[in-house]
Formats: sequence, structure tokens, C-alpha cells
Amino acid sequence: MQLVAQIVLNGVLLGGFYACMALGFSIVWGVMNVVNLAYGSMIMIGAYVTQLAVLQLGLPLAAALPLAALATFMMGYVLQRALLNRLAERSVFMTLIFTFGLNMALINLNLILFSADVRSLPDVFGRASFTIAGLSVPYSRATIFAVAMAMTLGLHALLNWTPLGNAIKATSFDPDAARLSGIDVPHVYALTFAIGGAIAGVTGALVATSYSFSPIAGESYTMKAFVVVVLGGLGSIPGAIIGGMLLGIVENLASLFLDSGYRDAVGFALLLLVLVLRPRGLMGRRFFAEVKG
Amino acid sequence: MAASTLRARWGNGPWAGTLRSAAIGCVLMAILMVLPSFLSLYWLRLLTSVLMLAVIAQGMNAMAGFVGYPAFGNVVFFGIGAYGTALAIAAGFAMGPALLFGAIPAGGLALAVGPLLLRLRGHYFAIATLGLNEVVSALAANLSGLTGGAAGLSLPLGAGTAGDAAQRAYVGFAALFAASLLLGIFLRDSRFGYGCRAIRSNEEAAEATGVPTLRVKSIAWMLSALLTAVAGGLYARWVGFIEPSLVFDMAISVKAFVMFLLGGAGTVFGPLIGALLIESATTLAWSHLLKLHLLVLGVTIMLVVLLLPDGAQGFVARHWPAVRARLRRRS
Repeated sequence: MQLVAQIVLNGVLLGGFYACMALGFSIVWGVMNVVNLAYGSMIMIGAYVTQLAVLQLGLPLAAALPLAALATFMMGYVLQRALLNRLAERSVFMTLIFTFGLNMALINLNLILFSADVRSLPDVFGRASFTIAGLSVPYSRATIFAVAMAMTLGLHALLNWTPLGNAIKATSFDPDAARLSGIDVPHVYALTFAIGGAIAGVTGALVATSYSFSPIAGESYTMKAFVVVVLGGLGSIPGAIIGGMLLGIVENLASLFLDSGYRDAVGFALLLLVLVLRPRGLMGRRFFAEVKG
Repeated sequence: MAASTLRARWGNGPWAGTLRSAAIGCVLMAILMVLPSFLSLYWLRLLTSVLMLAVIAQGMNAMAGFVGYPAFGNVVFFGIGAYGTALAIAAGFAMGPALLFGAIPAGGLALAVGPLLLRLRGHYFAIATLGLNEVVSALAANLSGLTGGAAGLSLPLGAGTAGDAAQRAYVGFAALFAASLLLGIFLRDSRFGYGCRAIRSNEEAAEATGVPTLRVKSIAWMLSALLTAVAGGLYARWVGFIEPSLVFDMAISVKAFVMFLLGGAGTVFGPLIGALLIESATTLAWSHLLKLHLLVLGVTIMLVVLLLPDGAQGFVARHWPAVRARLRRRS
């Protein structure tokens, strides 16, 4: 019992991280109908920027994190403004293929710039942990969880309580009506992609603090973002949290009861099940998930 | 002019397009039959892989181009075909029956999950097929007793020299390529194919006019799966060693996708044109820019999507009238 409770707690902590990561993917998909297969590579870029800032510039982690976010924010803006906006009217698989190509290019650039070595930061938090109700919580996991939750709440506030949030939502519902009411749609699209990018950057910084990473490690993050978004439902922040935690718990339970090789496959099996039984996800709203041919 | 004689003889009747495609196909196959005697082993291998990719791209085209369902994870059938065939060969079956051991499970899987997954559309269908590939791939990697697990599976060598084996692989893929052309013509011109295209342009309207949409989609996916699985089986025999990360590699699917897009979606010969262009570009990148080959391929993909959204054939069709007008004015 104690063991299962500990595993569920680990799953919840991991799930908070997954939720935050998936939101950057979800907002781009929900608003622009772009499935960004280069998302994992953007996370890796965030991780590399963090590592450079900490090791080369000697910055503290708290300063490196915004720097990583800024780098991927700008990257996201430029990508959407210069390239992806041109594909806005095309069919869904055009953008899918486009971002796959982008992902290949980014992986290759990361390989050239940072080599194929697997890297990690020196253990920032050490192995220290505290206990709640007899369950141990490592400081590193708790910090990641806290930052991820703060990002999630921040995004919620941005979307619901600011003019930019209103513009993004209006554009997502009906780009033509938004244009007629004076919203600069290409700019809003670019900003949305940039926000998704910033979240990828923060996720990357978090990855750098406690996981090892390499140019090709990004793909598994893209896949997990996929699973979380589909589980929770497109465009839903509570859905992302529920989906993230569900995935975190299921993955941890799977590594306990099954061979650890099935860890990723269990997530996908869950995804297939949800797609068949509840195609809009557990918390999905019709609005965001409207699929264009 | 040959083309005008053809047109005069067959007119623009209902089967004109079919006959023209069949004629082009016969010429192509004749060329493919003669070519090996002029090619070195290196070029023969390259041509074999072009044919293989053209077949996989046609499998993708069958679903994504003709029916409008982006079966992104179609590589799952390639992997199943490779493993089924390899295991059958290891168990002592001859090549022909061994291919069936790959093709039947793949077609069966498409028929079994088709009715469930083909209710999803767009990104959701694409992701579901991707998930299917991940699950099957994980099974292949973890059921070590059956598949050899992540360490892979080696096949016993076939008879004769390496050159003989390359020849056999070439003949196999050329025959399969002919079958893929027939599938393309079937999907373009048959009653069944009209059903597919009706689904592509408007599924609700197709359903309302009496197309049994779910059945048509499932059968189309099964045909796509069979083609892809046989390609996987031939590939396993050709390279002699398979592992999950090799034959369930999403990059194969994506390449196939880009190829048929580049060649022209929903056309008979598009996949071949795309495979020729992309595979040549990839081979050039591999041999001259080894460190940059992913970048080159990635940028090529992005450029294709940005500049040639309706494929090379569409590009020519769009610009040819203007070019012809200019040529006429000059002369």
C-alpha cells in the first residue's frame, strides 16, 4: 500500500511537469490547428540554453530559466510569422509534414552545435528530500512540480484575464471575425506560437535540472505532449493537468507491474483507448477541437 | 505524334485515362526489366530502394491521397510484414508463403482496427495510427522470445552471391511496384475508387448518397496495409537483419508521405516521381554532406510543402500553359 501510494505520488509530481509541457503544444494546436512535431526539439533548445547559461555564463538557475524561455519565445515568433502563417489555409497534414521536416533540421543543427553527447547539469538539488505522511518527496521533483504549476496558472491567467488572451481566443474561434474586429491575426498567431515556444523553453530548463538530454531526446517529449493533450482534451488547461497526471501515474505503475520497456507503450495504449472511446478527450471542448479537413 | 494518335484512336472516352496509364505503366516496366543489365551493383541497390519507397508511398497515397485519411503510422504494416516474413523464413518457409505470413496479419490488423480508428478524422486519425505503431513496435521490442527483442532478428543467408541476392530483391520490388501501379489505377478509375474520392471531398455527402463509407475506408486501408507489408517482407529478406527501431521507424512513413505529396497526391505515378526525387536528394546528401544530411532532408521537406503544395505534377500543370504561351509568342 505504502509502495503504491508512493508511486501514485511520484506519478502526480511527474504529471504536473507533463501538464505544463503539454500546454505549450496544446495552445498551438488548439489555436492554429498546427501539430508541432518540432516541439521536443524546442524543449531541447531550452535545455541547451539553460546549460550554457549556467555553465558558461555562471548564471543561477533562476536567471537561466527566463533566458531559455526568451530564446524559444523568439524562435517561435519568427517560425510562425515567417513560415507557418503561409500554411494557415492548407490541409492539416501539410503542417504536420512541415513541422516534421523542421524537427529534422533542428535535430541536425543541435547535433552540429552541441554534438550528440548526452548531457546533464551537475545535480542542482542533490539527492535531498523531505517526507509528507511517510512518503518521500525529493526537492528536485517538488521544485519542478511547483514551477510547472506556476506556469500553468500563469497561462490560465494570461488567456482569461488579459486583452492578449481575449485576442487569442477570439482568433481561435473565428479568424475572419477576429480580423474584422481589428485583431492583427498573423501577429496573434505568431505570439501564440511564441507563447507555446516559451513554455517549451521553460520545460527544457526543467529537463536540464534533473534529466539527461541530447539532440534526439526531444522526440519522446513530443510524443508525451501528444498523449497528454489527447487524453485531457485539446485546448483545456484542466484537461492537460488531468491528462498529465493520468499519464504520470500510469507510466509509474506500468514500470512497477510490467517490464520497463513497456513504459512508453502503455501511454500510447491509453491514448488509443481514449481516442476510440472518447475522441474529444476527457475534458475537451468542441470549440477548440474542431478539426479542419 | 504518338500522343495525338492515341487520343485519335481512343478519344476521350471513359477508359482513355486508364488505357493511357496502363500504357505508361507497361513502358515503365519494360524499362525496369532492361535496366539491370546496364547498372552496377551500387546503382541497382539505389534503384531497388527507390522502388521500395515508391511502393510504400503508394500505400500511403492509397489512404491519404485517395481517401483523405492521413495514415501517418502506416509504417506499422511495414514492420509487421518484415517480422512476419522474417519469422516464417527462419521457421523454414519459402519466400512466397513467408510473405503471406507478413501480409495477412497486417491486412487483418487494418481490417480489425479500421472500423474503430477510421471514425476519427484529421490529426486525431493521424495520431491514432501513430499510437498503433508505437504499441506494436513496443511489443516487437519486448516479446524477446518470439522476435528476438530489441537486439533484432538475423535471417539465414539466401543461396548464391551478394549480387544474386541484390538481383532477387530488385525483381521482387519491381513486381511489387507493378502491383502498386495497378492499385493506383484501380483507386483512380474503379467504382470503389469513386467511393474513396467521394469520401475525400465530403464524407457526409458520400454517406448520404449511399457510399458505405466505413466499409470503403476499411478496405482501402487493408489494401494499403497489404502493399506496405509485402514491401516490409521483401525488405527483411533483402537486408537480412531487422530490429524494431529499423522497421517501425516513423521516418519511413514521413518519407513516404513527402514523396507522394511531392509527386502529386491521389495520382497513379506521383509516388514514383516523389521517390525518385527524394531518394536521389537523400543519397546525394548522404554521400557529400554526411553531417548535414538530416538538415538537407528536413529543409527539402519544408520547401516541398511551402512551394509545391500540389506536387511536381501540379506545379507543371499550373505553369505549363504560361510557358507554352510564351514559347508560341516567340516563334
